[in-house]
Amino acid sequence: MSTDTKFHVHHDAPEVVGRRERLGVRLLIVADGSFVFALIFSYFYLRNLDQNGGWIPDGGHTLATSTGWKVVIPLIIAALVHRLAMRDPSHQRSFSAIALLSLAYGAYAQFDQLANLPFIDGESGAFEGAYASCVTLIAGGNLFHYIVAIFLALGLVLRSGRTNVNPVLESWRMRTAGSWFTWIAIAGVAASAITPSFM
Amino acid sequence: MTTLDSQVGSRAIPNPKNSLITKLNAGTGLIVGILFAIGTYKGLSNTLDTSVYHLHNQVLLATMFMWSIGFLVGIGAFIGPVRWLVGKDLTAEEQLYMAGDGQGISRYFKYCTDHKVVGIQYLWGVITLLAVGGSMAMMIRTDLFNSGGHFVTAPIYNSLVGLHGITMIIALIIVATGPFGNYIMPIMIGAADMAFPRLNALSWWVLATAIPVLCSAWFLGGIPTGWTAYAPLSVQAGPGMNAFLATIIIFAVSTAVAGMNITATVITMRAKGMSWNRVPIFVIGATVSVALAIPAFPTFMVAMIQTAMDRSFMTGFFDANVGGTGWLYAHLFWIMGHPEVYVILVPGVAIIMEIVPVFVRKPLFSYTAAVVGFAGIAGLSVLVWAHHMYMSGWMPMLNGPFMVTTEMISVPTGLIFLVILGTLWNGKPWLKVPMLGAYAFLWNMLIGGITGLYLSDVPADQYLHGSMYVTAHFHYTLMGAALTGAVAGLVYWYPKMTGHMLNERASYVSFWLIQIGFQILYLGMFIAGSEGQPRRVADYASEFINSNRISTVGAYTVGIGFIILLWAVVHSWRHGKIAPMNPWGAKTLEWTVPYPVPLTNFDTPPVVTSDPYGYGRSAK
Repeated sequence: MSTDTKFHVHHDAPEVVGRRERLGVRLLIVADGSFVFALIFSYFYLRNLDQNGGWIPDGGHTLATSTGWKVVIPLIIAALVHRLAMRDPSHQRSFSAIALLSLAYGAYAQFDQLANLPFIDGESGAFEGAYASCVTLIAGGNLFHYIVAIFLALGLVLRSGRTNVNPVLESWRMRTAGSWFTWIAIAGVAASAITPSFM
Repeated sequence: MTTLDSQVGSRAIPNPKNSLITKLNAGTGLIVGILFAIGTYKGLSNTLDTSVYHLHNQVLLATMFMWSIGFLVGIGAFIGPVRWLVGKDLTAEEQLYMAGDGQGISRYFKYCTDHKVVGIQYLWGVITLLAVGGSMAMMIRTDLFNSGGHFVTAPIYNSLVGLHGITMIIALIIVATGPFGNYIMPIMIGAADMAFPRLNALSWWVLATAIPVLCSAWFLGGIPTGWTAYAPLSVQAGPGMNAFLATIIIFAVSTAVAGMNITATVITMRAKGMSWNRVPIFVIGATVSVALAIPAFPTFMVAMIQTAMDRSFMTGFFDANVGGTGWLYAHLFWIMGHPEVYVILVPGVAIIMEIVPVFVRKPLFSYTAAVVGFAGIAGLSVLVWAHHMYMSGWMPMLNGPFMVTTEMISVPTGLIFLVILGTLWNGKPWLKVPMLGAYAFLWNMLIGGITGLYLSDVPADQYLHGSMYVTAHFHYTLMGAALTGAVAGLVYWYPKMTGHMLNERASYVSFWLIQIGFQILYLGMFIAGSEGQPRRVADYASEFINSNRISTVGAYTVGIGFIILLWAVVHSWRHGKIAPMNPWGAKTLEWTVPYPVPLTNFDTPPVVTSDPYGYGRSAK
């Protein structure tokens, strides 16, 4: 019995497996893209309808335009640093660690923002209006992106020190993770930064 | 490619000692899932006041999700990702163990990665869902046998309608792509397995965790909204609604994973020589279906999350008092909802297209037209959603354009009809049950399609909207066409999936009972609907009694037919005639492998040198 632990069970070439994995992630990105589209659609639909003046009710709170960018910039930094890691495999671990730190900070900032959103009415516990509801949901979606990205980044850091992983397949996985990091940065800019700036 | 089989040879597969994988199964999943659920419920109940409506919803939703996560932890779904995370990838032995080879029936209760095991798991999952949903349909029809004479109370009737609807929708979404897309499709394209075997197992077990969640709705007061769960009704509904929301969110995850997996498999793992014009049409249909589901279901998921947030956190997506609107829900729901009709229908059509050339011994008439038809349906299906909203008052000026796009779908649908009729033309059909299924499909699809044209037409829809006519129409397309296609596929591929022929006499009897009963059932419903009987209402005026009694008689006939079919499936699995390797004389690759199908399907990777329908012309 072979004790080879390095390769995919089908024993396809690592390039083939890597290409397949990247396609899979891109298809999941399509699904996630549809999810993000639905969040943005909801935002603009309710904003333009402004049902009973309830989009931002009188005395309702809004977020500063910079608030969204604060939780998106770490995503952008992580995506860019990950690109550097792909270009320079000799420093992959260092770059991946920086990306991980950036993501961890961003996730903390996003969580903190969610926990302290000023939208909830103290007495009833209800949200102030449709704007508050949409912004909160978008923030939740962004936090979900962060959690998935942290899992991937942590894996890349931990695995980069290992000798029992296939380097060819691992380089494909860097590219696959890169697709996800790039996508969540784009999604973050569109949903968390730009969309809420249209109040 | 070196296959797994050739690596293993005839040696016994070693048990990967000390690996956690060997100790986990559905039983441990159940235990951990229940512990997670109880822990969550107790923990949150102690900190939140569950007498408050929205806080109670938070507790219930969290409990349901934690049940699902706990089950997946307990069955070992996260072992692979965690091992990847820490850089200790699964060994070849562990992967072999997870593939389940040589583990007998126990592998069906494990996190097994073999696509054939997953296909059988899906098959029994579908049968369970159809049995549950079908039983509810029988109760609905029993209640409607008499005007004013209630078999069940009105609230229970409402719940029955809602639960029947969503159970059947879930069952039909996976009825073809689940069992056949997993078991048959990889062999059809000459692949050793799916592209992502662990995700394949995940898609099934995630779905499996949703089934008890859905069933729990019954014990939490039911679903009073119908399967569409329109807001704000769903926002105000009782605790059973949480089960609906959690089910859909969990199911959407399963669908995305399964859709990605099937699509990636077909794109990247076809056998050498299998160019796109040599891909069996069922594979094309299944791929179109799941590829359509990939972007469609997340919008549905967002609608469910928003409903859950409105119920649990008092947000205002659908509450007009705080800036929300039910129209938003309707948009998100139907942007998914209408493509979902084709997610269900297309694989059923594709199965029929796969069967007809085999049983008339003729090539598929215009393969290209079939593919164009599927692509046309998929493309147009995302542009028609607002025809479900004609009567909602949303944008009346857009009714005309949506009427046009909806009616345009008849063009690619007609193309598909043409392909099937062209294949049948001048053929000499071998009238086995799968072929009878093809004829039944054509009849039912024709009626479903033509009656749908009236509903796409705004003036006619004003009269028919919300009536039993609509119910009869969509049952003709979803049950009469898609389910008939899937049942034909079951009879057709049963020998390959079980090694036995399906009891022929029982399958003939069940076929005729189902099809005759079906026509009686929905003929009565068309009459009642055309005369104005509203759907989803427990009682009706006495003038509708005859048509309702006709429908109930038809429903019982269908029910008996399905019971006979179920008996045939169960009985033949053990006692049926041993099936030859290729009982229908078909040319697709799945018929070139023996039963039981080897772990990696083919001893040597196949090379495809011709199209799968090269039967030659029949003599005139």
